[in-house]
Amino acid sequence: MKTNRLFKIAFTGLGRNKLRTFLMMIGIVIGITALTLIISAGLGAQKRVMDRVKKFGLQSMMLFAGGGREMGQPVSGGPVTTLTLRDAEAIKREVSTIDEVAPFNRKPNAEIKYLDKSTTATVFGITPSWAYVWDWDVQSGDFISENDMDNLNRVCLLGPTVKKELFGDENPIGQQIRIGNIQFEVKGVMQSKGTSPGGGDMDNRVNIPLSTFMRRVANVDYIFGIKILLTSAKEMGQTAENISAILRERHTIAAGMPDDFRIVTPDEVTQFAEKVAGTFNIFLALVAGIALIAGGVVVANIMLISVSERKKEIGLRKAVGARSRDIKLQFLFEATAVTLVGGIIGIILGGIGAQILKIVTGIPVSVSWLGVVLGVVSSSLVGIIAGMQPASRAAKMQPVESLRA
Amino acid sequence: MRNTLIQAKNLFKIYGKENSAQVVAVDDVSVEIRRGEFVAIMGASGSGKSTLMNILGCLDKPDSGTLLLDGTEVSKLDDEQLAKVRNQKIGFVFQTFNLLARTSALENVELPLIYSDKQDITKLAKDSLQAVGLADRMDHHPGELSGGQQQRVAIARALVNDPEIIFADEPTGNLDTRSSLDIIALFSELNNSGRTIVLVTHEPDIAAHTRRIIKIADGKIVSDEENKNPINAKTELEKISATEVANENK
Repeated sequence: MKTNRLFKIAFTGLGRNKLRTFLMMIGIVIGITALTLIISAGLGAQKRVMDRVKKFGLQSMMLFAGGGREMGQPVSGGPVTTLTLRDAEAIKREVSTIDEVAPFNRKPNAEIKYLDKSTTATVFGITPSWAYVWDWDVQSGDFISENDMDNLNRVCLLGPTVKKELFGDENPIGQQIRIGNIQFEVKGVMQSKGTSPGGGDMDNRVNIPLSTFMRRVANVDYIFGIKILLTSAKEMGQTAENISAILRERHTIAAGMPDDFRIVTPDEVTQFAEKVAGTFNIFLALVAGIALIAGGVVVANIMLISVSERKKEIGLRKAVGARSRDIKLQFLFEATAVTLVGGIIGIILGGIGAQILKIVTGIPVSVSWLGVVLGVVSSSLVGIIAGMQPASRAAKMQPVESLRA
Repeated sequence: MRNTLIQAKNLFKIYGKENSAQVVAVDDVSVEIRRGEFVAIMGASGSGKSTLMNILGCLDKPDSGTLLLDGTEVSKLDDEQLAKVRNQKIGFVFQTFNLLARTSALENVELPLIYSDKQDITKLAKDSLQAVGLADRMDHHPGELSGGQQQRVAIARALVNDPEIIFADEPTGNLDTRSSLDIIALFSELNNSGRTIVLVTHEPDIAAHTRRIIKIADGKIVSDEENKNPINAKTELEKISATEVANENK
């Protein structure tokens, strides 16, 4: 038997009953449109997270002072004073998979003045290794040197935002600014980094030597965190474990007590983002799934009605030589053709919808083969499942009884 | 070539459950139909003539009895083999034409070929439509054709697979006198060229065109006689035309 002939029958049959076909299709179109949108938006969000993780560096991890399990700021109140510069040195010395460390401390909302102009920025105490570990150097002037560190020099590097606020188009290098009441000489201007993963302006900052920060500005002997650059992206977990063991020993934390520091790896960043996006996606996928099931029920119902309406046609086809199998395939093809065409329309609408979403809301979208394949497969599946019962009912009809109807 | 096409022995068909009101639609019928015959099965409505035709045409199965079609024992065939028999050896023509709506005459005639292994089905369907004189109506839908033309399409469909035998169940029941004669003339023509035809009807006028008349009552054959002087539908038609012309000239 020529299966392609049955295909043709199914398709032309659908064309001859446009209203019925449209009603059967609409639910599937909505379901697949939703599905395509969700996948596009979900993948877009994932891509954005991955881009940020890449920006942060796949070979690096962050070590923060203070415990706590979730991302973001330490959960305990007040500054945590346990993490020191010597910890950073010890980690670098003892863990072989570490390439370089960049310890830092910071003071948010410091007042920065130049002559009669003033602005507010975050002051970072950093080491010369910063440029290498963050891959973030000066665009003009010189970076902070070991000499600056040793001598507690009052020199600073301006973030592009601060430079623009205080100096406009003037060359700031060699000029004196004030951080609080302390005078600093501008040594260079940092490269621009734009927006941080948290949404802040990474260029609104002033970098000074960490030693100067600790002694002259904040008068503390602890640091805020360390960015750690690894020799390779592998062994992330092992390295984190080693660091943890060293710090617990140095901080004399008894077994069973919680850490007083936190290690954040790119994996954790990705996982956290996926967790947030995942909850949302599950909800939307549920909506799409329900729409598809409802669409499938509609298809099954209309197919059942169609089978009893077309009893005579079925009887006739059997009388002229159609086997039960041919009848079954015809109705199965009809149901699948409806849902497949509905699915393709849904994919196209979903793709267009995703682009509109991108333009209107700025939510990143990424239309993918995964969405197309999933759309095609799930819509065909709905058709096959929905068409199964009506098709076998049609196939079981006896020619004489159906012709008499 | 064997001369016997259909050999039925002791066919029974009973409707209704046991111990309740049973209707014996076919009651111990034995009949033989030879190649090239033009047979009418006659009877009042409810006499069982249609049930008998459905059984002989492999649309329905007898409760008991044997049926040999072209030497094959039909009652032993499964669904798939029966479908093949209906497709290759039998052509059906129904009272209500049973054409697919919103489907062209050509596609309606192609229908049996779809379920066959034959190639070039459009050409075969065109030839068949030509044979019934509808070459110029191939693209018309049933709704655009007269009753007589629709029945011609149905006959073209029955002929398209070149079957051994054609079963026609009250083929003129929905037609006016003139179209009826048209259709009967077509059947006679087909029979003259060797086609075996079994025609079920309750109208003696129609049966009178065939060469053998089997009368059925209460599921039994009550008579089976040769009709030595079948009416010629063509001459009938000519007579009608002549009177029409005469009436117009009055």
